[in-house]
Amino acid sequence: MDTQFLVSLSIILVTFALYIGIAIYNKAKETSEFYVAGRGVPPIFNGMAIGADWMSAASFIGMAGTIMLLGYDGLAYIMGWTGGYLLLTFLLAPQLRKYGRYTVPEFIGDRYDSHTARVIAALCTIIISFTYSIGQLSGSGVVIGRLFEIDAKLGTMIGVVLIAFYAAFGGMKGITWTQVAQYVILIIAYLIPVIFMALQLTGNPMPWISYGELVGKMGELDRELGISEYFAPFTNGTKWQFLALMFTLMAGTAGLPHVIVRFYTVSTMKAARWSGAWALLFIGLLYLSAPAYAAFSRFILMTQVAGSKITELPAWTKTWVDTGKLQVADGNGDGVLQWNELIISNDIVVMATPEIANLGMFVIGLVAAGAMAAALSTAGGLMIAISSAFAHDIFYRVLKPNSTEKTRLSVARWSIVIATLLAGVIALNPPGAITQIVAWAFALATGTFFPALVLGVWWKRSNSQGVIAGLLVGLGVTLAYIFAAKYGGFTILGIIDTGAGVFGATAAFAANIIVSLMTAAPSQKIQEEVMDLRYPEQMVYKDGEVWMNDDGSKSV
Amino acid sequence: MKKIDKKVADSYFREKTRNMVIYFAIGFLASFGVVFFAEPLSDITINGFPFHYFMGAQGAVLTFIILLFVNAKMGDAIDRKYGIDENKNEQISSGKVLDH
Repeated sequence: MDTQFLVSLSIILVTFALYIGIAIYNKAKETSEFYVAGRGVPPIFNGMAIGADWMSAASFIGMAGTIMLLGYDGLAYIMGWTGGYLLLTFLLAPQLRKYGRYTVPEFIGDRYDSHTARVIAALCTIIISFTYSIGQLSGSGVVIGRLFEIDAKLGTMIGVVLIAFYAAFGGMKGITWTQVAQYVILIIAYLIPVIFMALQLTGNPMPWISYGELVGKMGELDRELGISEYFAPFTNGTKWQFLALMFTLMAGTAGLPHVIVRFYTVSTMKAARWSGAWALLFIGLLYLSAPAYAAFSRFILMTQVAGSKITELPAWTKTWVDTGKLQVADGNGDGVLQWNELIISNDIVVMATPEIANLGMFVIGLVAAGAMAAALSTAGGLMIAISSAFAHDIFYRVLKPNSTEKTRLSVARWSIVIATLLAGVIALNPPGAITQIVAWAFALATGTFFPALVLGVWWKRSNSQGVIAGLLVGLGVTLAYIFAAKYGGFTILGIIDTGAGVFGATAAFAANIIVSLMTAAPSQKIQEEVMDLRYPEQMVYKDGEVWMNDDGSKSV
Repeated sequence: MKKIDKKVADSYFREKTRNMVIYFAIGFLASFGVVFFAEPLSDITINGFPFHYFMGAQGAVLTFIILLFVNAKMGDAIDRKYGIDENKNEQISSGKVLDH
């Protein structure tokens, strides 16, 4: 046990104590607190909570490395995962907030007046959130495992117990405020190393402004080596794949239940609008820095590691070679490490930066705590989404509508515990590549929820038959394309499995519209409720007219 | 409750929708538009970056953030213009949700 271990451990333990303390202080006592935090979260704090909920272990640890390895093609992730907030904030969030329910399946079930649609939506929520959470849990296991040099499995189990405890206890109210704390920790941990790296490499503490020069310089180095330039577009796939992936990530963002439900926790449509703006500002801080990390790391690897004698590599490379994340084999046996003899894992970029820039033990521990915060906050939000889909939408709304508040809360708490443990067990032996599964979760959200929600909010003629057809066709087409592309070698315009959402969403929109038009229109009441979503709370759509609720009376 | 002239109610919705279409068009050009013309745009250099890389790594994200804040601000301005009072919104909203 060395000093580094003790420093990292104490920083992580302090942050864990903070999260648990916040969850206990904000314990949810009523169902509205458990599902939507009592609907009183201020927009700025909700923005931070959305940021922490949104940015996962993969964003924190892996994204910079992905961009480094893919070059320009990796930027589809940056634009896709931020652009989704335009779709969400303009098309869905304020309107869904005005509708005033607890969950996404509940909106679909009530808006389309169909228990079938409700149950399909609840099952989709559970499938999407569950696959996504497996990635978070095994991510947190990797972090704990690597930093403490213990088995990643033990690390996973520690993460599972922690999440099960504070999510079940605090509900949405507790999670919201722990996510605010987790956002602050993760963003500080992400920014400190990149700022110091910028200072050392460019003499300018603003990485966002200064790394452009390095990108240009690396292009020259690449030309000398005779490989394609770092910034050259579409070297890893076709232009259509880039566009399809970007669309899938955007629409998937707007259709992920655990993100949408965060907009239910504010008081009004105006607050939802502002939450979206703050959220993207806070998320943007990390997403604008990831390409800077990528550029700095690649520059250091190209100039300080590649080209040096194999016996004289910088000291920090040794620990990463030991973990297998960095491979330095002198293939042609000339005693010098060439650029093409380096094999780099994408996890290395963020985690190794504090060592490369020689920032000391405290920062290394802080980065570990930041990665844990990213994994735990996303997993917490996902667990609430799973639990509410089961306990609220399936158990309460369909199976046992007469159950008491106490029963419902305990069903919700137990479903969190069981879901977390189940996800934890699968995360011990994660099935295949986690990043792949996460990308599929986005494709599924794009093919199912995005069309159902957009048409539900914006087209009053859409009815229950339409949405059921849309959900099933979207799900079927997305899955079929994923499998055809992944295992059958079938592609259209070079679009591979990760871009499958384009086809799923198109098919789902078409199915919903065609079937809706072929069947009877929804009831007058439902159509008026949909029209009502066009206006702020104070304007009420009723009997084909718009009314101003001037006295602020609660009866409408 | 008093009735709002249909024309007024429609123009509220039209103004909001028109702004939204403008924001989407700008956001679309900054992301999909630049990707589509990535090769010809790569000859332009901005702050050391080739233009297409700059837009992907920074320009598009900054555009999205600005659009969301403009949307929030303009949304407030439109609400004010039509005499919407946020305090009343809050009051009405807390009574109207389905808390069960």
